[in-house]
Amino acid sequence: MTSFFEATFAMFIFPGGLFALAAGLMLKGVDRKAVARLQRRVGPPLYQPALDVLKLTIKETLIPHTANEVAFKLAPVLGLSGVLLTAAVMPIGGVWNGVTGMKDLLVLLYLLPVPAMALMIAGSASSSPYGALGFSREMVVMFAYEMPLIASFLAVAVRVGGTGSGMFALDNIINYQMQHGPMIFDPIMLPAFVAMLLFIPGTMGSGLFDIPEAEPEVIEGPLLEYSGPLLAMFQLMSAVKLVVVVELVVALFMPNGLGGNVLVNLVWHLFKCLALMLVAVTVFRASTGRLRLEQGFAFFVKYTSPLALVSLGLAYMLR
Amino acid sequence: MLNKFINKIAPRSPWLYRLNAGSCNGCDVELATVALIPRYDVERLGCKYCGSPRHADIVLISGPLTSRVRDKVLRVYDEIPHPKVTLACGACPISGGVYRDSYTVNSPIDQYIPIDVVVPGCPPRPHAIIEGVALALEIWRKRLEEGTCSRS
Ligand code: SF4
Repeated sequence: MTSFFEATFAMFIFPGGLFALAAGLMLKGVDRKAVARLQRRVGPPLYQPALDVLKLTIKETLIPHTANEVAFKLAPVLGLSGVLLTAAVMPIGGVWNGVTGMKDLLVLLYLLPVPAMALMIAGSASSSPYGALGFSREMVVMFAYEMPLIASFLAVAVRVGGTGSGMFALDNIINYQMQHGPMIFDPIMLPAFVAMLLFIPGTMGSGLFDIPEAEPEVIEGPLLEYSGPLLAMFQLMSAVKLVVVVELVVALFMPNGLGGNVLVNLVWHLFKCLALMLVAVTVFRASTGRLRLEQGFAFFVKYTSPLALVSLGLAYMLR
Repeated sequence: MLNKFINKIAPRSPWLYRLNAGSCNGCDVELATVALIPRYDVERLGCKYCGSPRHADIVLISGPLTSRVRDKVLRVYDEIPHPKVTLACGACPISGGVYRDSYTVNSPIDQYIPIDVVVPGCPPRPHAIIEGVALALEIWRKRLEEGTCSRS
């Protein structure tokens, strides 16, 4: 029974649910403000994303009559619940060890593509040619960034060196780093860390990899036909997704807290998330343009995957 | 209660959509610079340009509504979800501007589309456009409070 309550709490309040929503909207706000400051503008207030979401709830919902209505309405629900579940599974070093029975990297590997899947369903259900283009682009980019993601996961797992079914246990990974120092100071793991840094803008679709939702070309791609509350759900999804991918990198490479106090550790964790987001999303977005689809694909295949594979190979040889 | 709260804060997050009704591109360049050039920052009002009409709140219309695009413009206008506010940018939508009396233009636009704010000029200054956007926000807020913003 306790594990049931634990899971409910995790899903709705602490690492997932309210906490993830608040943190996601806040990170998005900081992102927009920081980009504005980098361009020497004043920029919107920090709570602007929350205002956007609230405003969208009073807008009219339009559904194209050629769309598949069920899939069209289900896609945002699927995406949002998927990311909230991912956020609930994500452990926070020194604060939260994850729900009993769900502490596994492979679970994350299955849950992480859910938002991309939701976007694909949205794009194809909307029956718009631009939606279909966005769908195919989303799929190609996803295939490209899954490879470095899996390779980095494996590299971390091999480096930690669990055996059998414990190989992918998240608490093993975190305990290992508590004892041996964070992975980011491990020279072998540095290439994998860089690969994960490039994975963040890839999956968030910012900067160089703003390919599926490119506004001038495919006018927001999969989200083209969405309006009102359904679009608000997609906004929330992208906010929580930002938290999830940043927390993932923190958990894999630098989960260490600052001692025993839970609150201090939580603040420290948020600080790490913020710093990581500023580097990987904000500065990246403000300083780069967009690649073409095949260039984006080639970037991941040629440069990012080998980085992660180098780490994986070294970790195997030195185990 | 919650509705009242949302009505109050909704005008602080306007998403702009540029609808080109056959303009000469002068107004469009001016509109783009208002947001894109850091000097004239409309994002501080919470504005964001969106690519899809479905996401839009404030429609910026430029150009004299040529016969060729009239039906398409009306269709795109219908695709924009309520509540929406329209802003006509430039001399063209009001009078036809330099294209006045041509047999291919259907200006003034408000024969076809209700226009809330007019920003005259050929093209208007960026400051004028920003003020127009701020005015549009005021109108939006008033309408939400009166509850006259629903689909007619
Ligand atoms: S108002 Fe002037 S600048 Fe604007 S579209 Fe008309 S002719 Fe061009």
